[in-house]
Amino acid sequence: MAKQEIQDYIIDPNVYVCDPVPQETPDQNRIYPFYDHLREGRLTTTRCKDCGHIMWPPRIVCPECISDNLEWEDFPPTGKIYAFTVQVGGVPPGFKAPLVYALIDFDNGIRIISPLVDTDPDDVAVGKEVVLKVVDAPRDRVLFFFKLK
Amino acid sequence: MGKGRVALVAAGITKFGKRAATFRDLIAEAGKATFDSNKKISPKDVKAFIISTVYPERSAYQGHPAPLAAEWCGVRPTEFHERVENQCGSGTSAIRTAYAAIMAGLTDLVMVIGAEKVMVPSHQEIFLNAMGGGDREWESCFGVTPPPLFAMVAQAHMQKYGTTEEQLAMVSVKNHNHSLKNPHAHHQKGATLEQVMTSRMIASPLKLFDCSTNTDGAAGVIVASEERARALTDNPVYILGTAQVSDAYPWANYPKDWSSWPALKFAGEKAYKMAGIGPKDVDIADTHDCFTISEIIEYEELGFCKKGEGGKFIEEGRVDYGGEVVWAPSGGLIACGHPFGATGIRQGYEAFIQLRGEAGDRQVEGAEIFLGHNLSGLGEHHILIYGRN
Repeated sequence: MAKQEIQDYIIDPNVYVCDPVPQETPDQNRIYPFYDHLREGRLTTTRCKDCGHIMWPPRIVCPECISDNLEWEDFPPTGKIYAFTVQVGGVPPGFKAPLVYALIDFDNGIRIISPLVDTDPDDVAVGKEVVLKVVDAPRDRVLFFFKLK
Repeated sequence: MGKGRVALVAAGITKFGKRAATFRDLIAEAGKATFDSNKKISPKDVKAFIISTVYPERSAYQGHPAPLAAEWCGVRPTEFHERVENQCGSGTSAIRTAYAAIMAGLTDLVMVIGAEKVMVPSHQEIFLNAMGGGDREWESCFGVTPPPLFAMVAQAHMQKYGTTEEQLAMVSVKNHNHSLKNPHAHHQKGATLEQVMTSRMIASPLKLFDCSTNTDGAAGVIVASEERARALTDNPVYILGTAQVSDAYPWANYPKDWSSWPALKFAGEKAYKMAGIGPKDVDIADTHDCFTISEIIEYEELGFCKKGEGGKFIEEGRVDYGGEVVWAPSGGLIACGHPFGATGIRQGYEAFIQLRGEAGDRQVEGAEIFLGHNLSGLGEHHILIYGRN
């Protein structure tokens, strides 16, 4: 059999853009401070210094007044579960079932969709409080998961 | 608004299912079926072409699909050609774009093909591709795909209005049983309430039968100005009204009460106003039952029942043959399957055969008004209202 001339992409460690984890470094992303803060255990977003609007996700331009004069602000330490589900089927590669997803509401008016980790699905309930749990992702990246308080 | 009206003059569809066919095979099949439906139109008459497709870049590693699809349908466009992509709402968006192009006077005849290759060899890759329409950096990065999102919609609706899992299941039973009379549907076995209720859990409370099916498929329509339409067929199917609303991105930013979809209510009101009709005038609705909960909320927001009473509305049998409106006589996304870019075009095909009295065993007798709807998120909606006159 002839030698295979094309490498299988799936095992190529240089294929970066086909995984779902964002590029988090200053050479690729202008909101990289979000990820730097995350590595310090802080969940943050941007607030507009001109109109006062706090936005999610963090950005480089305010969607309310189109100002680029923004500053970083910390989230309140706890959020509250509005709704949740336990996913056991149809889970994408790289993720392990069961996955507990929750809609998490914060006092700053922002809602986040995120998985709960270190959590028994049977203990999850609407109205319960959750706190940030920073999780490592492949190639020195981090993501913002949550766990029950 | 432009002058005159716009109508469908041809429509065709492929078999939906796990197809032994490539992306372009599906396009060629749909193109042929569409031309076969009206022998007065040949590919050489078509100077404008739209392809509706969501992710050929992932499932077929093929970008730039508009000229490819036109060529595979024998069309060489000289007036207009575009690819339209709005995730699951792409098909309705594409027909709406054809409408806009005709109203703008850029052309008077447009072929619209919707096609999606979904069933790639690796099942894992199908689930991976499902994350592509979400917000990659802020939601898809957690593996979030439509099932858990709509599961949380269902949780919110059950908690606020007392909607039951049995009521959700009744939508699936109805749509699976409708598909027994649709030879193009992916599933043609029907379903019982027990089958749906005992099917395996996907994301609580949604079970396998509460979910639309991953499938391959394509469909086509030809859209024309009223003047062209009258010359090409005795029975054109008119576009009476259309609306499109997107109120946020990503999902976390939709209005806080996930049991209510104000963007759909607003889109419905706009489309009804443009068509000069109300929900009572609708004979057939083929709306976006990506999950059973979606169809229940669509009854409510589109004005067919009071807010919160969608579960009761299906339970009372008011959305089936013999009821006030026949909902998803095709079997909907749940039984036909949901090849994303093709679904809205499949609805256009259903409108075309139903309003011309050509729907065979599943014909809704005397149907005059057909409501088609796709969503691309709970806050993003696309509507087309079709009429016989």
